[in-house]
Amino acid sequence: MESFEFQRYITIGQYVPTNSPVHKLDPRTRLVGVTLLLIATTVTQQWVGLVLALAGALAITLLARIPLSYTLKGLLTPLPFIFILAVIQTLFGPGAAPDLIWDWGPFNVSLTSLLSGLSLLLRFPALILLISAFSAATSTTEIVRGLEALLHPLVKLRLPVQDFVLMVQVALRFLPLLALEAERITKAQASRGAEWGTGRGGPLRRARQVLPVIVPLFLVSLQRAENLALAMEARGYRSQEPRTSLIELRYQGADMLAMLLALASAALILML
Amino acid sequence: MAVVGANGSGKTTLARHLNALLVPTQGAVTIGGLDTRNPRNHPEIRRMVGMVFQRPEDQTVATLVEHDVAFGLENMGLPTAEIRTRVDEVLHRLDLWEERRRPPHMLSAGQMQRLALAGVLAMRPACIIFDEVTAMLDPVGRRAVRALLRELHEQGLTLILITHLMEEVLDADRIVVLHKGRVALEGPPNEIFTDADQVRPFGLDLPPAARLARQILDTIPVSDTAAAAINKVLSVSDLVTALDRLPRRVIDCPPDQESIESSEDGVGASSPALIQATGLGHTYMAGTPFAHLALRDATIAIRDELPHGLIGATGSGKSTLLQHLNGLLRPQEGNVRVGSYDLNDPDVDLRHVRRSVGLVFQTPESQIFEQYVGDEIAYGPRLAGLTGEALRERVRWAMALVGLDFEAFKDRYTFALSGGEKRKVALAAILSLQPRALLLDEPTAGLDPASRVEILDHLTALQHSGMVLAISSHQMEDVAQLVSELTVMVDGTTVASGPMRQIFTRGEELLSWGLEQPVAAQVATALRERGWTLPDNLVEPGQLVEHLARCCRQEEC
Repeated sequence: MESFEFQRYITIGQYVPTNSPVHKLDPRTRLVGVTLLLIATTVTQQWVGLVLALAGALAITLLARIPLSYTLKGLLTPLPFIFILAVIQTLFGPGAAPDLIWDWGPFNVSLTSLLSGLSLLLRFPALILLISAFSAATSTTEIVRGLEALLHPLVKLRLPVQDFVLMVQVALRFLPLLALEAERITKAQASRGAEWGTGRGGPLRRARQVLPVIVPLFLVSLQRAENLALAMEARGYRSQEPRTSLIELRYQGADMLAMLLALASAALILML
Repeated sequence: MAVVGANGSGKTTLARHLNALLVPTQGAVTIGGLDTRNPRNHPEIRRMVGMVFQRPEDQTVATLVEHDVAFGLENMGLPTAEIRTRVDEVLHRLDLWEERRRPPHMLSAGQMQRLALAGVLAMRPACIIFDEVTAMLDPVGRRAVRALLRELHEQGLTLILITHLMEEVLDADRIVVLHKGRVALEGPPNEIFTDADQVRPFGLDLPPAARLARQILDTIPVSDTAAAAINKVLSVSDLVTALDRLPRRVIDCPPDQESIESSEDGVGASSPALIQATGLGHTYMAGTPFAHLALRDATIAIRDELPHGLIGATGSGKSTLLQHLNGLLRPQEGNVRVGSYDLNDPDVDLRHVRRSVGLVFQTPESQIFEQYVGDEIAYGPRLAGLTGEALRERVRWAMALVGLDFEAFKDRYTFALSGGEKRKVALAAILSLQPRALLLDEPTAGLDPASRVEILDHLTALQHSGMVLAISSHQMEDVAQLVSELTVMVDGTTVASGPMRQIFTRGEELLSWGLEQPVAAQVATALRERGWTLPDNLVEPGQLVEHLARCCRQEEC
């Protein structure tokens, strides 16, 4: 019975410590690399490029020794939405296109709209896989350190880099905790006769069950956020003070190589 | 030093003033000569005074153990090499070295607790405040924390311990009792715990061994010298020493065979089990890198009229097992039967199962979502189709069961209730479904002694009215008081099951399972080592008192 394991559906933001070559790269390399690939995948208009992006995302997942079945499961939840988007994209193409294939009232399918619908089906999975591979291979402390180092020049502009970075860190850490908490609360409501996990009840009825979960989840999250803030303050965290770090960032040969690879792939995705 | 007091008496607020998390609106706090009202002093104060909070998972900032330990040091602005040295030193010292590269949420509860302490200890504070750190720990975890506290104290650290467990404050040099935000009593343990009437008005109680000692004094005529010794008892070893001074005829007094045999009656396995689980196995997050085996080959039978206890170290699978017994989790392996429902049948009516077996989660008050007490309790029966006067009657009935007055409480705001009242509301919210059986996961954890006694009394009354009870708990005293059957869990499997009194006499085994005997049984074990002849199944305070009374034969002992 998996109906209560919400954590199962969150594959983004879960660090999987496998100590692979990807895990050993400098966090800055991973951050810049994944950003390059994400941008390339988002803006490219090329078919071959998208296929390459998807293949690249899978390759990184494998190289990081993250079980494929696990990351693919993270795709299952958004897949219906991506599919609906693709259908809409296909059906509502520009009506007067020269390559019109099918036309029926408001619906019309042209070759261009069909292709852009299909490209959506490639683009989104590639993006999701990239992000989950990155987050599985990078601990939040590393993300924070990397971001801090990369954004450091902005401190001169008096931007609150450290606070921003910490915000990212806490948000990432809270994702699995929230999932666990939601699990606990829905279970408790189910014990009181709510229709969780029985596979019954219409959509309206299900929607009504959400409020009793949202309210305690919200309160508990606030409580936990407050506890965390207190614990951090008690350990001497101050937003404007300079901090040091346990992790020393080292830029090595492997990082250069990975950087070049990321640049090359991004270029290929854009141009092929 | 220890700080005790009822829920809401101001213990945590006081603690937060001591490391400048809160700043006084009136009066002043100085730490090592530094005034907390001056924000410039805060970094120095927080370096001197560390604080460990109740829920360790709320205090971890980073996603790797060693990064989390380093957090405070990074805030202090130490150089990388220095941070590395201190982190490694603390990890070795607290036995976390092997876990340094693991994410905190994969640690066991005990390791998690040590991690929270490691983050504070690495900053080398002069004083550490522990805010109810043992509330959710099993007996072994509590013993480990106590040992650690003693060690830290010997090294010259000032320790401030906030707790609801009276047996834990006995090590303190000084106890401060808070009541409604004021210091009500202050002094060493032997002065604070001279009399139950002195501490009960503040929602507290005597430590269990002292309670047992008073019970003995109240029933048995003893000589003045013995009475003086028993009256001073605080811990189990005190009580053993005091009782060992009783006359020879008591020490050699043979146990009453009849009472042993009669107490073993009625535990026949012949009565049918209402809930039966056999060979249960369960893996969380199966098929992911986070797969975690929680149950294997667990077997339990909960019978009518025999309240059932479930004990085991933190993470041994008690909660997972309980969640199988009302159909929240479906068996991956093995069988579960509840009354006439077979939970292996995919078409079983789960709503009926869940309504007939109510499950009260750990700290259920955190799941209250309605604004008013009445609506919160009405939620379940309303979903079941009750309306109008019938619904009102049902809510009134459920509230009466937990001792909440319907008229006085139905329109109270849920968030404004005290900790004990919230727990009662959460309990009533399950009882309002009129379940046949009630499963409770740690029903008394985090409650002050007075609220704890109240909840236990209501549970006893429910049991007498015919409710089938199953309770998981880390408090062996509570278990001994409530249940007659007991199942022990270790590493996800059930290792022993049987009459409560039989299980609780297995002292050595209980220790190896991460548990302990209830206080009366501990006293009995220690007395037997000193040559006493005592009934084999002596586990409850009443049994010890009865044995002593019979041996004294109305004469002065």
